[in-house]
Amino acid sequence: MDKKPAGNIQGTILSTQNAQRLISSGIPSLDDLLGGGLPVGTVALIEEDLHGAYSKIILKYFLAEGIVSKHSTLIASQDINPFNIIKELPAVIDSDPESSKPKTSGTSDKMKIAFRYQNIQVSNDSKLHSLGHYYDLSKNMSLNDIENSDISYWSGQRLENGSNSFANPAYNQLLKSIKDKIKDGKFFLKDNPSKKSILRIGIHSLGSPMWLPYRKALHSIDSSRDLDMFIFCLRALVRSAYAVAVITIPTHLYHEVSLERCVHSSDIAMRLQAFCGTELESNQALSDFHGFFYLKKIAAINSLASKHPGSVEYVFKLRRKKLVIETLHLPPDIQESMDSKKNDIPSVGCGGSNKHLLEF
Amino acid sequence: MLSLTDPKSNNPVLASLQIKTSEKIISVKENGSADSNFILTHLIKQIFYEKNKILLIGLHNTLDHYQNVGKKLGYDFKKSIDDHQAGIIEPLDDLTQKIIEDDVYENKEELVKCLFGEIQSQIALLSESTTQQIYLIVDDLSHLLDLGVDIAHIISFINYCNSLVDTENVAVVINTHVCNKIDEIISNTLQYVSDVHIEVASLKTGRSTDVTGVINVSRDGGTNHYQYKTFDRGVKTFHPGQAIFNMYK
Repeated sequence: MDKKPAGNIQGTILSTQNAQRLISSGIPSLDDLLGGGLPVGTVALIEEDLHGAYSKIILKYFLAEGIVSKHSTLIASQDINPFNIIKELPAVIDSDPESSKPKTSGTSDKMKIAFRYQNIQVSNDSKLHSLGHYYDLSKNMSLNDIENSDISYWSGQRLENGSNSFANPAYNQLLKSIKDKIKDGKFFLKDNPSKKSILRIGIHSLGSPMWLPYRKALHSIDSSRDLDMFIFCLRALVRSAYAVAVITIPTHLYHEVSLERCVHSSDIAMRLQAFCGTELESNQALSDFHGFFYLKKIAAINSLASKHPGSVEYVFKLRRKKLVIETLHLPPDIQESMDSKKNDIPSVGCGGSNKHLLEF
Repeated sequence: MLSLTDPKSNNPVLASLQIKTSEKIISVKENGSADSNFILTHLIKQIFYEKNKILLIGLHNTLDHYQNVGKKLGYDFKKSIDDHQAGIIEPLDDLTQKIIEDDVYENKEELVKCLFGEIQSQIALLSESTTQQIYLIVDDLSHLLDLGVDIAHIISFINYCNSLVDTENVAVVINTHVCNKIDEIISNTLQYVSDVHIEVASLKTGRSTDVTGVINVSRDGGTNHYQYKTFDRGVKTFHPGQAIFNMYK
């Protein structure tokens, strides 16, 4: 994956650490977590939340960023018409919507509490983003922009005869169309087109019940074997080309162990766990957020150390216009401590209210 | 006799592994979310230092990855290939091609046999006019499972390798990733035949910023436990509990 073409490719930067070419995922806070962006030639796997709503938004961001950066796109889904995903891509805007930085209203009447902290960054957001754009989730991208870009759709409708390698021929079909797309668009590393670009591959709900082989009614070991083989082959394809794949998988339908091999074959793995419909929904400490974001794996590519940030917990929240991923900070435990203080008011002498604790 | 330039004395990973040339079968077990690739890249450093030859079978990482990491550790893999000090078999593209074209081998055993045939011819090429030892390095044997190869055939592949060690001047380093019962069988088989078994795992207690994971090196004599921390330009190892002494060096 040593990619040093003559010209710079639009929408990419070279990582200063390991000369890896990076593209933006469309979400600045996610790019930060991944160490700058998604490395070109990798497969990112997103384990969907229960209803698949948030993972779809992340996928849309990824595709929208591709269209704005004039990359080519291939979108595949068997669950919904892939054109519908493209139709609902968020619109690009100039600045960060709903920026978390407090608006300063002139310097004169600013309160001077703890003045030593006033120059400290509030969050990582203030870092300059050379990569990626901002999007407004409340508006859709104009159809004009979409029509002018190179997008291929795959919905798995024209299925031919069976396959020897996969139990479900749809996997084979999809691999074939991805390969044809890479070939036609000259995205292979060995190709030398006049203007290099990136192919973004988005696969929505891979391995969902729609992907079951016809003859078998239940998820058998074979069907997850299909998934393993598909991701392994996809990775081999993407590694040999200027392409990045983002896959969402409804993992809650699978046994946890059966997906471990998929995670091993992918380069980046993340999991979304929405609070909606669980008991976490009523947890006060988490009331500002919509779910947990787990970064399961970032592979060390072209280097020894993975860029995994370590033992930090992340949460995501969906605002009206944007999706943000943040570090989870538990709020100060004020309310409960007030309650508990009431109980242990120090008493004078030996006859305190806690006396019964000492009685035998 | 160790010299100062010997990576076995000045490289922390190789110093803790202490692999001797007499140890012919080395198995590396990668658990769950850990990444044991640094063991392979470090071993390559030692093998090149000892002027031995390498045949790498890349099923997980690409040649470019080895080239980039190699530059950080102080060897040039691509140059070694040009100098016939090393060879690489990257079956990824061909296999994917075959799977997409639906031109798979009737029997998956055929695939393993083909792979082994390729290995034999490459070893024959490398061993021409030298008496040096050739290291066969398999980066992630468990990927054969993803390709639908039956476990019996994978074990027979291990058997092939075992016979290769007996008949020719070859040593084998095999990396496997373990995340389910079937992987475990392969890894246990490997451990059974190996002279040195290296196990890499992440910390049981979760992630830490000071320690990336644990290395257990087992030989006939017993098991040594180490912890390691990966950096961009190298890996540090230390005995459990001594991480703090290494942080500020």
